[in-house]
Formats: sequence, C-alpha cells, structure tokens
Amino acid sequence: MFLFCSYSHSTMQTQNRQQRLAALRDTIANIERKPALAEMRARAFDGAADGFPRLPGGLLQDVCTDAVRNGGASLGFALGQVRTLFTPKRLAVLYLQLAADAQFFGLPYGPGLSSFGLDPAQLVIVRASDMQDLLWVAEEALACRAVAGIVADIGGAPEMLDFTASRRLSLRTAESGTSLFLLRYGADRPASAAHLRWHLAPHRSGRKPFDDRAPGPARWGLTLERGNTGQNTREWILEWTGNAFKSLPDRAGKTRQHLPGTPVSLPLPALLGNPISQTG
Amino acid sequence: MRLVALDQQAQAAGLRLGQALADARALVPGLTVLEQDTGFLASAFAEFADWHSNASPLVGVLQDKAPFGDLVLDITGVAHLFGGEAAMLRMVLGRLRALGYSVAGAIAPTIGAAWAQSHFGSSGIIGSEQLSDALDKLPVAALRLDERQVSLLTQMGLTRIGALRTRPRKPMLARFGASLILRIDQAYGQIEERMTPRLPPADHFVERKFFEPISTLEDVLLTMEGLAQDLSQLLEAEGLGGQGFHLFLYRVDHKVMTLSLNAARLTRDAGHIASLFRHRAQRLEQEHYDPGFGIDLVRLAAASLDRLEPGQAGVFETDNGAKDIEQLTDRLASRLGPLSVLKTELVASHIPERAARLVPALTQQAQIAPAGEGDRDRPLRLLPQPEPVAISAEVPDGLPAAMIWRRQRYRLVKAAGPERISAEWWRSGERLKLVPAERPTPPAPGEAPKPLPYTPDLPLFDPMTGMRDYYIVEDGEGHRFWVFRLGLYGGAVHPVWYLHGVFP
Repeated sequence: MFLFCSYSHSTMQTQNRQQRLAALRDTIANIERKPALAEMRARAFDGAADGFPRLPGGLLQDVCTDAVRNGGASLGFALGQVRTLFTPKRLAVLYLQLAADAQFFGLPYGPGLSSFGLDPAQLVIVRASDMQDLLWVAEEALACRAVAGIVADIGGAPEMLDFTASRRLSLRTAESGTSLFLLRYGADRPASAAHLRWHLAPHRSGRKPFDDRAPGPARWGLTLERGNTGQNTREWILEWTGNAFKSLPDRAGKTRQHLPGTPVSLPLPALLGNPISQTG
Repeated sequence: MRLVALDQQAQAAGLRLGQALADARALVPGLTVLEQDTGFLASAFAEFADWHSNASPLVGVLQDKAPFGDLVLDITGVAHLFGGEAAMLRMVLGRLRALGYSVAGAIAPTIGAAWAQSHFGSSGIIGSEQLSDALDKLPVAALRLDERQVSLLTQMGLTRIGALRTRPRKPMLARFGASLILRIDQAYGQIEERMTPRLPPADHFVERKFFEPISTLEDVLLTMEGLAQDLSQLLEAEGLGGQGFHLFLYRVDHKVMTLSLNAARLTRDAGHIASLFRHRAQRLEQEHYDPGFGIDLVRLAAASLDRLEPGQAGVFETDNGAKDIEQLTDRLASRLGPLSVLKTELVASHIPERAARLVPALTQQAQIAPAGEGDRDRPLRLLPQPEPVAISAEVPDGLPAAMIWRRQRYRLVKAAGPERISAEWWRSGERLKLVPAERPTPPAPGEAPKPLPYTPDLPLFDPMTGMRDYYIVEDGEGHRFWVFRLGLYGGAVHPVWYLHGVFP
C-alpha cells in the first residue's frame, strides 16, 4: 500500500493541513486494523477504572514467560482471559500443542480445568505433528465463528512462525473476533505482529483462609511490553478469584495512579492509528 | 520346492502343477525357474481386484486355494448393465485377455460352482437349473478340498462330485471332516457362502467417466466437488445422510486409489463433504499422490447411511455454535487424523491420570460429569508421565521443603497436603482382606454342614502398594506444583517422589 503526500508551501492552509492529517490517521488506522484496541482505548478514555482491563476478542496476544516451568501460569492467564470472551454463540476453546511436546509442557487436565472454573467439555485439544500443521489449525479455527479463544503452546521462537506468519494471524484475529494466545517460553523476543505482548512471571500466591502454610489463589505478575490497552498502567499483579482477574496493589503497597487523560510517555507506534488525539 | 505356476510351453513339455522342482529339472534340463514373491503377487493381485469394482461393486479375493487368490465378483443385479450375463463374461474375460493374461471364468449361482466350473470345466455360464447337472460331472478336487481329502476320496473311488452327493453323510463327516460337507452344501447352494468385499460396499454412489484420463489432483478435486453436489441431491431425494464417504479413483493402469473419511454426524451437505476431502487431499499430496497414466473414472460413495430428515429452522431455535464446532473438528481431523483432535472425558475415579482421558472429538458423546469431584484443587497441566524429583523435608513425614526438578532447585515455602489417594483394588485383580469368618462349628447330627464363604483365588490386596500422598507445593517465586510420594516412610520399599502437574 502506498501513501502519496504532496506539499505546496504557498497555498497550504492550516485548517486544510489538519483535515489531511486526520484523513491520513484514518487511513493508517485502517491499515493497522486494530478495531478491538481502538474500541478499548475509546472505552478507557471514557473514564474506566485503572484495574486490569477486560480485553475484547479479536486480539493476537503473545504471552512470554522465562521458563517452561511457568507453563501452568501462562495457560492459566490465557484461559482466564478466554473465560471472559464466552458468549452464548462462542463457547469453545481450542488448545494447540505439538504432539512431541506433551511430556515437556504437560497437557490441560480436565479436573484442573473445572477447579479453575472452566468446563472441560468446552476445550478441544489439538495435537499437531509439526509447526506448519499447528499454524494451519490456528488459522482454520480463527475462521470458525463458534470459537471464543485459541491457546497455542508455541515454545521458543520456531522458524515457521516468523513476522509474516504472525502478521497473517493478527489480521485474521482482528477480522474474526476470536482471540489467539501464543504462549512462548524463553528470554528472547522474536519479531511478531501481535497486538499485545505480555511478559508473565508467577507471583507468590494469596492467602488461603484458615491455613497460612498452604498455597492460596493463583497470582500473576504481568508487564505489558507491547501494545496499548488505553490504561495508564503497564504493570499489574493479578489474582484469580475463580471467575475473573482482580488487580492487586503492587509491592510498594499502592496502585499506580495516573490522572485520567495524562499522556503516556512511552513510544507507542500504535498511537498513530488512534484517531483520538493524545496530545489534546 | 514345488511348481506353483507354469506357462504354456512348460505345460507342453509335460510339467504339471505341484511337481517337485528336482523332478521338473530332470525332465526339462534348461528350465527357467523363478522364486514366487508371495507378498508382491498378493498385493498386485489385490489392486487388480480393486480395479474390477468398475464392473461390480462387490469384488473379493478368495485366498484359500490359488497361490495368490481367485477373483470373485458378485454380479447380482449388475449383468443387465453389460447386456446380459454372457456379454458381461465375454467383456470381462476379453478385457483381461487383451491385456495378455490367460483367464478362465464362469458365472454360476454359487461361489463354489463358479469356482469349480472355471477351474475344472470350460468358461461359461451355469444357470440355476443346470447347477446340479454341471456340478455332478466335475471331479471332487473342484470342491476346494485340501490334498489329503482329495487323495482319500480318490482312493475310495469317489472321483466325481455327483458320487459324493448321494452318499450317506454321517460316515463322510466322520471320515473327511465337516469341511467336505460344508463345501458340498455351499456348491449346491444349500448353505449361503459369503465373500468379503475388498472395498467398502457402497449403496449410494455417483461417478464420472472421462474420455481422456485426468491426472492432476486439482482436476480430481474439482470433479469431486461436482460429484459431492450430485451425491447430496441423491441422498436428499431419499431423505438419507451418510457418515462415511469414500472417493475411488480408477487409474487406467488398473489400480484404484481410495480416500475414505468419516464425519462426526450424519450429513449430506455438499460443501462440507467437499471441504473434508480437500483437507484429506492436502495430506495425500504431501505423502504420495501418483495418478500413473491418468484416472478415467472417479466415484464418490456414501456409507453408513441413516435417515436424516430435512432440517427446519425453528423460531425459538438457539444457535450455540455446536454445529460449527463439529464441522471444525471434522475438518481438523480429516487433515491431522482423528487421534490428533481430542476432547476430555471425565471418568469417576480417584486416580488422577484415570480421572480424565482424552478421546477423539469425533466420537465423543454427551457426557454426565461424575459428581462430587469439583471442589478439589487440581493442576491445570498434568504431565502424561509423572517425573521423578528429589524432595527433602525437615522431618520424614513433614511438608516438603526443597525440590530438584529438571536439574533446577526449588526452595519450597508453602505446601498443602497430604491428600492420600490409594490404588483401586477392584481394578488390580486382587481381593480385599475381609473380616475373618467365624470358625465353623461341627454340624449337629442330622444337619447338613454349612458351606464355607466363597473366597476367590486371587492375591491379597496390599493397601500400602500404589498408595500416593499428594502435596501442593509452592516455591519462593510463586511456582506451584503437584507432587506425590509413592510409598510410605518406614515401609519395605523406600518412598519415591514424583512431580505430576503444574498449577497456574
């Protein structure tokens, strides 16, 4: 796609220029095709709370974590988000994994899903033999309008899933309204066209009533590394209440409070696509 | 070593089937002998048999007598398509002779009679009236008997089948075994003989013949889409739906390629059938797709048919997407294989790895969840095989304090447990130790003695073996694991720790 801009210094009017800029922003917003995030931001600027946002469907999210031993935590985070995406017409979750990785990552466990608050009958487990099949399944499932979310255990940075492939997936997710979560393990951050990229670390669990020595409700420490949810915070500590995420104050004991409307001082390429001006 | 096949020259030289190789060499010194490659012949013959399904849908191979089989075609209700039985026989035999084979064939009301006539008589047709006359004249070997039976019968002077038929049966049964009687009855049509068709039988099929053979996979798939439309109309006219679908590709060099697939539920949706075949074909392309010199007949058949009433959209119908999900799993399974698309089935069991099992999503039925297991803490991911870990505790029976898993050390700060899960004695083929029966008192005079309680002859169940103590442990960074100890401290075997699952 090409954009042609021509300037003529003598006749350029300020108002005209403003209109053209607005038109360009609209074009770029169309190119970016992130209707879900745009909607998010619009909602956030309406004065939503500063807690963890309820993210809409249609987002490609990279969930990066440092080691495979955090696999339970990242699966929990993804499924916790999928749980908010269920509608009467979208009731299925797909979990994709390479068949050879089952022992290394572990497989989703039915009774564990029910104790997490998810009906195991809603989960379809697909065990692909190679990454090509896995990506094909992801794309095929995105086209199905009854799938609420897809969770894929990617592992590290497979060659097959390069920027082009993830761009393709991100366009498909934006079109379909189904969310796709790519669970990645390891310290490196491969090129990806994901709408959001999280860095996830497990966090000491909450308090279990009547037993201080026992692990309580699950908690996650999350950092939003890429993308913008419209919130002013980029770090959260979340707790699973059995139904939804609850945002907790961080270690310093206070929630990060920003005044609503304060400009976010971070390099955000996605802001270009935001038709609402950030600078006022 | 013996001779199993001869050409005409060898027959003219006086060799015969079953002759020892040494004798044959003595008769004809310059004899060319090739060892029989049974596997190759059988598979080539089987492909050959498949190709004949363009003449009749039911084609089988009789394996019992000939070295690599005899071709059987069930032509009930088919012959008129070829202009009568005589014309059909002439066509099938002539086609094979044109290819350079020497063929003998016969049409008869029973498999046994057709076999007998084609092997021991002349090629021709036996009508149902001439059946007994024709069979009576043939030698006993035509009944597909083994050699011992034939030589015994010949010694007794019974050389023709007709002589056997009139003899009393009981002595024959005692002397020659039940197979002789069975073969006689089958040949005369007293007992029905069944053949096993090689290809799945198809009642409803549509086909397209090509004047010029096609070869690219894309052409085949386009044809298939057209056929799927026709098949869908055919099924709709009869109010049927199919679950299994087979695509047969007949190659000009007498081979058949078969693509078969199953749908999750009855369907006659042409688009769905076509998309399933497309996905299966993509997989075929990766492995091997060899059209040879071209394909001149494509046939699409539906199997496992049942009634499928035309659907009607209701006013209060709720669309919960179940149909979409079924079609999605169908498509995924048709490319990845049914064992790659799975659903969880809950089983009423305390053993964690038995409590949930993965079943193909295609076969999964609506299930009722076992009650009362919901509120336990279970891990989100379970390792298919528990992995041994090293665990140390402050006191032997205390909570775990440190763990090494996959060469990584964890300092455990929180733990909950133990949750004791014992083995299921009713599955292990062992018996429980029951309350000892009271000592039997000697029966009073005149009274029958009491029977002892029945004790099965099984080893005694030991509750200590296979008992697991599960703990939920958490380390300083917040990783939560599900570990268990197999065995008890102070028992005969030292306990071993395993990691079984990961919590969020």
